[in-house]
Amino acid sequence: MAASISGYTFSSVCYHSANSNSDHEGFLLGEVREEESFSISDSQISNTEFLQVVEVHNHEPCAHLFSFYDYAGKVSEGNLNRILKDRRKNVIGWYRFRRNTQQQMSFREQTIHKQLTQILGVPDLVFLLFSFISTANNSTHALEYVLFRPNKRYNQRVSLTIPNLGNTSQQEYKVSSVPNPSLNYAKVIKEQGAEFFDKDGVMKDIRTIFQVYSALQEKVQAVCVEVEQSERVKEKIQEEVTILKQEIALRKRKSAEEEKRLQELVTAATTEVSVAIVENSDPPSACRLQLHNSDLEHVSPERPITPDMPPPYSDLVPRPGPPVALLPRPQAVGSPGRPAQPNPVPGDGSSSGNLERRATGQEDGEPEEADEEDDSVYDNLDREPPELLCQSRPASLRPDGDARGSQNS
Amino acid sequence: MNSLSPEVALNRISPELRPLLSSVVRNGRVGLDSTSCLRITDLKTGCTTLTPGPCCDRFKLHIPYAGETLKWDIIFNARDPELPPDFIFGEDAEFLPEPSELPHLVRWNAGDPESLLLLVKELIQQYHRYQCQRLRESSRLLFEYDSLLEDPSYGRSMEVYAGRKNTWTGEFSARFLLKLPVDFSNIPVYLLKDTALDPGEDVALLSVSFEDAEATQVFPKLYLSPSIEHALGGSSALHIPAFPSGGCLIDYVPQVCQLLTSKVQYVIQGYHKRREYIAAFLSHFGMGVVEYDAEGFTKLTLLLMWKDFCFLVHVDLPLYFPRDQPTLTFQSVYHFTSSGQLYSQVQKSYPYSPRWDGNEMAKRAKAYFKSFIPQFQEGAFANGKL
Repeated sequence: MAASISGYTFSSVCYHSANSNSDHEGFLLGEVREEESFSISDSQISNTEFLQVVEVHNHEPCAHLFSFYDYAGKVSEGNLNRILKDRRKNVIGWYRFRRNTQQQMSFREQTIHKQLTQILGVPDLVFLLFSFISTANNSTHALEYVLFRPNKRYNQRVSLTIPNLGNTSQQEYKVSSVPNPSLNYAKVIKEQGAEFFDKDGVMKDIRTIFQVYSALQEKVQAVCVEVEQSERVKEKIQEEVTILKQEIALRKRKSAEEEKRLQELVTAATTEVSVAIVENSDPPSACRLQLHNSDLEHVSPERPITPDMPPPYSDLVPRPGPPVALLPRPQAVGSPGRPAQPNPVPGDGSSSGNLERRATGQEDGEPEEADEEDDSVYDNLDREPPELLCQSRPASLRPDGDARGSQNS
Repeated sequence: MNSLSPEVALNRISPELRPLLSSVVRNGRVGLDSTSCLRITDLKTGCTTLTPGPCCDRFKLHIPYAGETLKWDIIFNARDPELPPDFIFGEDAEFLPEPSELPHLVRWNAGDPESLLLLVKELIQQYHRYQCQRLRESSRLLFEYDSLLEDPSYGRSMEVYAGRKNTWTGEFSARFLLKLPVDFSNIPVYLLKDTALDPGEDVALLSVSFEDAEATQVFPKLYLSPSIEHALGGSSALHIPAFPSGGCLIDYVPQVCQLLTSKVQYVIQGYHKRREYIAAFLSHFGMGVVEYDAEGFTKLTLLLMWKDFCFLVHVDLPLYFPRDQPTLTFQSVYHFTSSGQLYSQVQKSYPYSPRWDGNEMAKRAKAYFKSFIPQFQEGAFANGKL
């Protein structure tokens, strides 16, 4: 059980006590609530704790001693009701002040407490004992207070806290949950409240702030939609670019094959011609060769095909994508840090997939160095894992230089 | 703890409360140990410090009970002196008397000076019942209590203090204080009046402490009021037997009671025997008696003459006469010792029997004097100087 008393109640009782020339007593008004705390930690199974909290909001002093009980300590319910009136239901305990005495419940207090518990119907009625202790020369006076829970065994003592009494720099300043029953306060709020509260009793500023918040939310959501749309457009364009690149690569491959074939034929024909010139000459082959040579000359420089076509942008990029700063840096082929291209997606029916299969068949002999120039442009979009690129690219081939060289020769 | 004399305490108390406290500190004797008065300490006030004194209205009352001293806080209000006091029962926090059984609280009369004292006595009665209830924690001790209760000689004059359990051993202890039903009324007055302080009632209390619930460690102790102790020859004259192992109080207490009764009877008898002895010597020696103790009959001095040799005989009768033999001191009237004292010889061994009556003792003494005097005379001449 925990207990707290509001600062003004506590100070009021202290003031009354300090100025009293005898013992006095009264009732504590407030409420009792139960708090359930549910704690989860890695080291133990989840634990639920129930804590009963007694909050003292106010007090009702008695005019004099023996105002609701007789010499034998018998409580008079009639007198009790006369003192408490309609606040009887708010009673959570009672208090007593006696100077220069021990912090222990007396015989009469225990007798009265038992009866109050039954009459008021509060099973956990508490008792707050105040005492002033003075030194022999009256130089130091100490106010002592103890909250008892007499209905428990051994008159259990409960620690009583006073919110915000202490070093608030090291603890959060707490807003008291004590309702303010003051009539004057209610009147002022009612008169001046229209400037600050709307018809529902909510502060206007709060509504305004909420509206701003809602507007901001809408804007953010609109921007999100635009970003998504632009991302999708970009994805589509990326797909088209990929397809075009694949087609270009295919054409290059074909032309390279034809050129090679022609070159072989030319070589063979040249040998025959040389023999034939010694014996005979064959003008049509040279013409064919020249045609092939001229065809070969028009063939654009061979570009290495990409055996492993990058997957669609949508498969690679999570939505939303990572910031640019986190993308892998472009590096040279064969370096350990170079991002690799992912494996091709088999059997998806797409044209890019078919191109990849063909490219794969020629994978061993086909260089991919030409894509280095394009990768630097599209690097921001390419998020292929490094190991795949290393697997698909043989590092020793230099097709561009070799091809041109062979053609020119 | 500042123990205040009654006068000091009364001077500090609020004037309206003074009569109530006066009867407590002056006449306040409660319980069996009525030789000790109630004491008051720690006088405090419930008024502000600016209130001019005397205004003390709360204090600590020390009450002897079963060999312990109860320290109860009594709280009045000087501003409302007509109201009854409240109590804090010190360490006995669980003691909660029934208010309806405290008539002097229910019908508190601040105008009656005896109200507080009577209320305290009622509280003590309830406290006694509370302690007896606590004995139920030990069947052995409860048996001891119940068996004593059955005997009206002891049951009506018994205080029980059920101590707290020993925190180390978990043992439960208790103390029984019994007022022994011994009649001291026939003890000669002269024996009882020779005390510095007002002895109060003549009482003998037997305290038996059980240090464990199984009664394996039992420590008895006998307390006598000062006059009785003096009359019986002091604290060293009376030794009670140890509590027998496996014994119980209902057997032991009567044993101690009998021992004490015998002692008292012996003292009473001794007085009468001494008186008889002195009377017999007066009869036999007539004019030879110089002086004698006419109150306690413990001393007698004779001036005798044998063959023109005068000598004094001092007879000292002990407390437990005739069991203990009187001492005879022969003293020469002529001879001095080197230190300037009259030459004397002490005789403790001479024909004697405690069964002789006074007359026989006087006769035998006379015969002894005749037989010893020649020897004494020789010694006086030889060792003394004129």
